[in-house]
Amino acid sequence: MTATQNIAAGNGKSRLTFADVKAGATTAAAGTLAGNPYLPQIATVIDIIDETPNIKSFRVRFDDEAVMDALAFDPGQVGQLGIFGVGESTFAINSSCSEKRYLQFSVMKAGEVTSALHELNVGDKVGVRAPMGCGFPVEAWKGKNILYIMGGIGSAALRATISYTLEHREDYGDITILYGARTPLDLTYKYDVEDWQVRKDIEAVITVDRDFPGWEGRVGFVPTVLEEMAPKPANTIAITCGPPIMIKFVLQGLQKLQFTDEQTYTTLEKRMKCGIGICGRCNIGPRYVCVDGPVFSMAELRELPDEM
Amino acid sequence: MKFLAQDQLQAFLGHLAGESRVVAPVKGDDGVVLFRPWSPGTEVELDVLLAKQSAKEFVLRQSETYLRYGYAMEGEAAAQVDDSHEAKVALEDPAERKAAQDAAVTAHAVLVVEPVNDAPAQVIFGLRPCDARGFVQMDNVFGGYGGFYFDPYYNAKREATTLVAVTCRDPRSTCFCTSVQGGPAATEGADVLLTQVEGGFAVEVVTERGETLLASADLADAGQAQVLYAETVKETAEARVDAAFDLEGVREHLRANIEDSGWHDLSMRCISCGTCTYVCPNCYCFNITDEMVEGQGERIRTWDNCFNPSYTLETSGHNPRDIKSNRFRNRFSHKFWYYPEKYDSLLCSGCGRCITHCPTRIDIREVLGVMGSERTAVSATTPATSGGEA
Repeated sequence: MTATQNIAAGNGKSRLTFADVKAGATTAAAGTLAGNPYLPQIATVIDIIDETPNIKSFRVRFDDEAVMDALAFDPGQVGQLGIFGVGESTFAINSSCSEKRYLQFSVMKAGEVTSALHELNVGDKVGVRAPMGCGFPVEAWKGKNILYIMGGIGSAALRATISYTLEHREDYGDITILYGARTPLDLTYKYDVEDWQVRKDIEAVITVDRDFPGWEGRVGFVPTVLEEMAPKPANTIAITCGPPIMIKFVLQGLQKLQFTDEQTYTTLEKRMKCGIGICGRCNIGPRYVCVDGPVFSMAELRELPDEM
Repeated sequence: MKFLAQDQLQAFLGHLAGESRVVAPVKGDDGVVLFRPWSPGTEVELDVLLAKQSAKEFVLRQSETYLRYGYAMEGEAAAQVDDSHEAKVALEDPAERKAAQDAAVTAHAVLVVEPVNDAPAQVIFGLRPCDARGFVQMDNVFGGYGGFYFDPYYNAKREATTLVAVTCRDPRSTCFCTSVQGGPAATEGADVLLTQVEGGFAVEVVTERGETLLASADLADAGQAQVLYAETVKETAEARVDAAFDLEGVREHLRANIEDSGWHDLSMRCISCGTCTYVCPNCYCFNITDEMVEGQGERIRTWDNCFNPSYTLETSGHNPRDIKSNRFRNRFSHKFWYYPEKYDSLLCSGCGRCITHCPTRIDIREVLGVMGSERTAVSATTPATSGGEA
């Protein structure tokens, strides 16, 4: 895996100086790329995909070819995507780690920055600071069954990880994807969903919250469908991401199914500014979502104050 | 140990000012003592123990532009940007206007982004040992301690700064530096420590940087009597700082008491003004905003405070610390639990400004005394977290 692992390890308990940095000491990936972790790299929007009525995916490419070539990230890592003059927000990198042509971010139109992003056209310039945070421990999961449980835009946070496990299919046991959205119109990555449904080597269950004209698939809330599916916890890792209320009931469901805290993972979001563990706002107790997360196991979350 | 006579002080500061900017506590026309850029003839105020604010502003600016950006026009269209009266008249002709628009379409706007990092050499003179230590505590956060990120903006200023601290001869009743492993004559963070003695200051060099600073200043050696006097001043001062609470076990107790109703009770009278965070020598949390005027923009970081509900408010309307007691808990826990867990140190140097300046008299010593110690089973019930408290 990549350079970001030493962040989690908390190695080298000493303060750096400019002299150290000039001599090549770097502590994190974004610092390695830019020398200034606050300085976004300029990137160009090369493609925009309308995922749902209020979600767009942006494929961006760094203008500096050297930065593009050097890009390496772990599935589950995030990036700061911003527009100069408006601001930056944190989004999961949802393109595959093996994708060398672009980075993909999916953006739900909600606030100031996301609304401005939705106005972008192909060819427009954005600022990107990536990768940031810690990804999922996909290496440690080798040999295990993987169960993805996701709802709505939560799919964006897990997409790179799904891609990784599918690209390294032989390294993992059974792979199951449970994905739900309010309506069929709200399903993201329909191109992926079609692929998952025809593949013979995984099980994909797609559900929508209620009946919808023309929808012949499954109907029901994600936690309910999970209960009906009743996956076995033996040698399985469950990863969930979605709206807070869905996560809450999925976690309860997993517990009922005898999944332990060590087997259960999620990835969190918080209001963030610096993205590098300094500005202070995305903490849950002593952990910063931006650098210690966004990926956490339930075992880690149980240790923290209830400030999700 | 050297000796700086009182009547040499202006000349000494003038000498320092020849090499770099000098910042010192100065009383303004309004009677408020603040760290301000010093100029020859300005009187340094050392009789008031603490300036109203710490000197952190000179390293971690209250508001700092760190990126500038804008679009520069390149190519044909650049020639079309003509604001003259003749040009405007010409553009009223539809054909002319069409031509100008076509040219604009082929225009090539280039986004230019440049970091701004202005860090003049400076001496902060006359700060107290607690304020000097505040910088050391922030250094961990900004200096990549423990494998985290290195902040080039903070560090550029920090590395260009020399700290000349002054022993607190007469600590206040709100001082509690000795309870947080500091002291009125502590040298952590200081490059030079001055102690007021009869007729002037006993001068101690603490670091190499301090040595360099004093090398060119022509100071006499301190006499035996002055050395002894300085020692007495330090010992007396040390004895005058009251023990406020027992640091032993505070972190563990804060962890154990996280859901304790005491947080609710103690935070009742807090008005979330954030004054404590702004006057604090080591509260460092900041916000980042963009400002753009006529195509030229700046990315700015500004002091922020964790008592403000919007600090953690998410776009969806969800707020992880939506009630006041949780925000209140965050500040004290950050200083004595979260930060210590990450950086093996404390995020408080015991200056007591938060006590002095709190409009509702919230006292950090009381908060730690209650929440940083063992709570009885009766008090350890979880408070109702709804009910209009936010």
